[in-house]
Amino acid sequence: MSAQKKRNFKIEAFKHRVELDPNYAERTWRVLEHAIHEIYNHNASGLSFEELYRNAYNMVLHKYGEKLYSGLVNTMTGHLKEIARSIEAAQGGFFLEELNVKWGDHNKALQMIRDILMYMDRTFVPSNHKTPVHELGLNLWRDNIIHSSKIQTRLLDMLLDLIHRERTGEVINRGLMRNITKMLMDLGSSVYQEDFEKPFLGVSASFYSVESQQLIECCDCGEYLRKAERRLNEEIERVSHYLDVKSEVKITSVVEGEMIANHMQRLVHMENSGLVSMLVDDKYEDLSRMYNLFRRVPDGLSTIKDVMTSHLRETGKQLVSDPEKLKDPVDFVQHLLDEKDKYDKIISKAFNNDKTFQNALNSSFEYFINLNNRSPEFISLYVDDKLRKGLKGVSEEDVEVVLDKVMMLFRYLQEKDVFEKYYKQHLAKRLLSGKSVSDDTERSMIVKLKTECGYQFTSKLEGMFTDMKTSIDTMQGFYSSQYSEIGDGPTLAVQVLTTGSWPTQPSAPCNLPAEIVVICEKFRTYYLGTHTGRRLTWQTNMGTADIKATFGKGQKHELNVSTYQMCILMLFNSADQLTYREIEQATEIPPSDLKRCLQSLACVKGKNVLRKEPMSKDIAEDDAFYFNDKFMSKFFKVKIGTVAAQKESEPEKQETRQRVEEDRKPQIEAAIVRIMKSRRVLDHNTIVTEVTSQLQSRFLPNPVIIKKRIESLIEREFLERDKADRKLYRYLA
Amino acid sequence: MVVRQYREVGEKYEEEKEKWTRCGKSRGIPNPYVDMILVDGITLLCNDLQVDPQDIVMLVVSWHMKAATMCEFSRQEFIGGLQYLGIDTIEKFRDKLSYMRSELKDEQKFREIYNFAFGWAKEKGQKSLALDTAIGMWQLLFAERHWPLVDHWCQFLQMRHNKAISRDTWSQLLEFAKTVDLQLSNYDEEGAWPYLIDEFVEYLTENGIVQRGQN
Repeated sequence: MSAQKKRNFKIEAFKHRVELDPNYAERTWRVLEHAIHEIYNHNASGLSFEELYRNAYNMVLHKYGEKLYSGLVNTMTGHLKEIARSIEAAQGGFFLEELNVKWGDHNKALQMIRDILMYMDRTFVPSNHKTPVHELGLNLWRDNIIHSSKIQTRLLDMLLDLIHRERTGEVINRGLMRNITKMLMDLGSSVYQEDFEKPFLGVSASFYSVESQQLIECCDCGEYLRKAERRLNEEIERVSHYLDVKSEVKITSVVEGEMIANHMQRLVHMENSGLVSMLVDDKYEDLSRMYNLFRRVPDGLSTIKDVMTSHLRETGKQLVSDPEKLKDPVDFVQHLLDEKDKYDKIISKAFNNDKTFQNALNSSFEYFINLNNRSPEFISLYVDDKLRKGLKGVSEEDVEVVLDKVMMLFRYLQEKDVFEKYYKQHLAKRLLSGKSVSDDTERSMIVKLKTECGYQFTSKLEGMFTDMKTSIDTMQGFYSSQYSEIGDGPTLAVQVLTTGSWPTQPSAPCNLPAEIVVICEKFRTYYLGTHTGRRLTWQTNMGTADIKATFGKGQKHELNVSTYQMCILMLFNSADQLTYREIEQATEIPPSDLKRCLQSLACVKGKNVLRKEPMSKDIAEDDAFYFNDKFMSKFFKVKIGTVAAQKESEPEKQETRQRVEEDRKPQIEAAIVRIMKSRRVLDHNTIVTEVTSQLQSRFLPNPVIIKKRIESLIEREFLERDKADRKLYRYLA
Repeated sequence: MVVRQYREVGEKYEEEKEKWTRCGKSRGIPNPYVDMILVDGITLLCNDLQVDPQDIVMLVVSWHMKAATMCEFSRQEFIGGLQYLGIDTIEKFRDKLSYMRSELKDEQKFREIYNFAFGWAKEKGQKSLALDTAIGMWQLLFAERHWPLVDHWCQFLQMRHNKAISRDTWSQLLEFAKTVDLQLSNYDEEGAWPYLIDEFVEYLTENGIVQRGQN
């Protein structure tokens, strides 16, 4: 056979249109329609998926998609209408169950139908912008069942009723509820929201509004909050069990609004159970609950904070103005510390260490501590007490804790320079009488002050320590230079104080006993021999003495007294009886001090080494004093000296304050000059602000004083007013 | 003629100077009055001018002469001043007086004269002006330029202050009188007024002398 030419096969289209027999379309549809019926009647098992699919495929292929689609719509609608009737007919509780069951059925049917009609769903539907089958099925369900007039309201009412019952304590079928709400969500979030959620929120609001009204009338604050919290948790749990998760925030805000926000003021201010009494009684749990609930509503926390602040300020104000509490400075400060501790604890345990609350606490303390202008003095006295004896036997860490707490109070003080003055005085007394618990503790305190206020604050204090040390060396040098010249005479211990570092206490020396004078002069010679150009002045108001005394029956005692007291007692070596006037003349001790000394020597039980006639407590000019032969004490060493720091008397206080005011003037001027030197030209208000901020670590300057200082500087030609603008000042180089 | 006039006046002052040199020298006091016209001389001058020595126009004269202290003119001040004013006879001097009075009505010049008055009226070597003198000057000056509160001001000072007046307070008072109205409605507490003026405002309101208007 010869090679034949290969012929390309060509398949030609029909040259004539092949039309599907229209009856074929109708017949095909009928098959499908029947299938849908069967599916809805739960007879799907007898159907052939393949055949049905093919039929649907053919219809679409032969351009009968529209017929198929609209047929589907009609058929489904028809079935749904029937379903609607059966649901409507259900009685009472069965309504929801019927709905639920039918919904399940519908979904199953829909799935099958969709599978069968998948080809149409993928081709005809998108190109003709029709709703896909599944979605169509949902929409039809929505329109024919859920939105059917006989069903819509009944459904909503049932749901709300069940929820209400659950709220009042009944147990309901949560599974059913979940299915129903899920159904609504599947139908579209707008269905869920419009047909359920919105009314649900509305009804809940009324429910909680009523409940909160009832509760607030009969419950105290703590109880109410417990109940509110419970309701809140209930609702959250409800959502998790059978509502859409997005409903949580909506329903909780309803509860928060009705139960908390609407009654906030009333709760907080409730008599005997509101915020104030919770604070007073340290009700940490209740407070914590209140904090957690209130933080959910706008202005909740600021309400708590404001009430706490005003309560704190009020109680603080009372504390600092109550004369009873002010009698004992150490006690007073302890109260302050306790109050601070209390609130620190509350803020940490109940208020989540919230910074804004911490700030409110700080500002309140700052406010009321400074209401009493003796606070700086009292705080210094507290430290003094602790450093003398209060911290004996306390461990090092505990000591630090106490001092740190005191520093917190110190920070609140506006007049830190007043504190400095008193601290210096008290420290001086402690050092000179050797009454400090431990050098290390003293130093630790100084370091804290230095950290807080800078080097200038503490440089003089440190100078005092240096003097004490140097004096020890000086005394050693003195005694080793004296060899045996001293013999039986009194032993002297001198502390040489540098004038600038120590608090100035101007006092004329009193008349010392002869024996003392001798050795004092020896010391003076020695010292000035090694330190030429210096001047020494005996501060007889600050010293102490140990005297050996023998009483009537031969009892010997060693008396520890102040220098003044020593001078007085030594007089009795040469006289049995002396009047006040005689003593005054002989010793030249200032009258107020003299009276105090005599009182402590003659009028105090157990310390009365002198006898006074008359026996009264007051010292009169003509009183007579006798050496008390009959003095008795079970201790060999008797301490009579009163060198401990006490809170100042009124005139002393005035004096100190005046000195403080005087000290402030140059500081203010220095600040003004510093500022003007760098800024050259400034207006009045800015100067005041700048000066205040520069000095705030020491004290709060009074604007009127600042103005006066400015005028003084103008007069001394450091500054001048600007010629054009009288409110400006110019620096004059 | 001119020179004679001066000399006349000058001679009267030479006399005075002589007197002082005699007394002062014998006490070892240094003679501060070299070439000076003093109180008596001024009285004479005023006589010739037919003017009261207390008349405010003499302040204006002193101002023109840049006199350092009241009741005294140095030769330099006197002659210099007259030259500046173009005065070479007593008649001319007399005529100039009304011109000088009118100068007080000029805002700017009044301010200069007012401020000049402080240095002129105070004691030599002092920084501040004694209260009595200040009050006298204020009465004089505010008669020319009316300030209704001047009497209250002087009363206030005598009651509450009783000390000398600083230059700053003196000059600022004029500003106060010029700018702040009688109801104190435009008085600004933050206005950097000297504290004495702040206290004065307080005094006025406390005593109900002024009902503060709205700020």
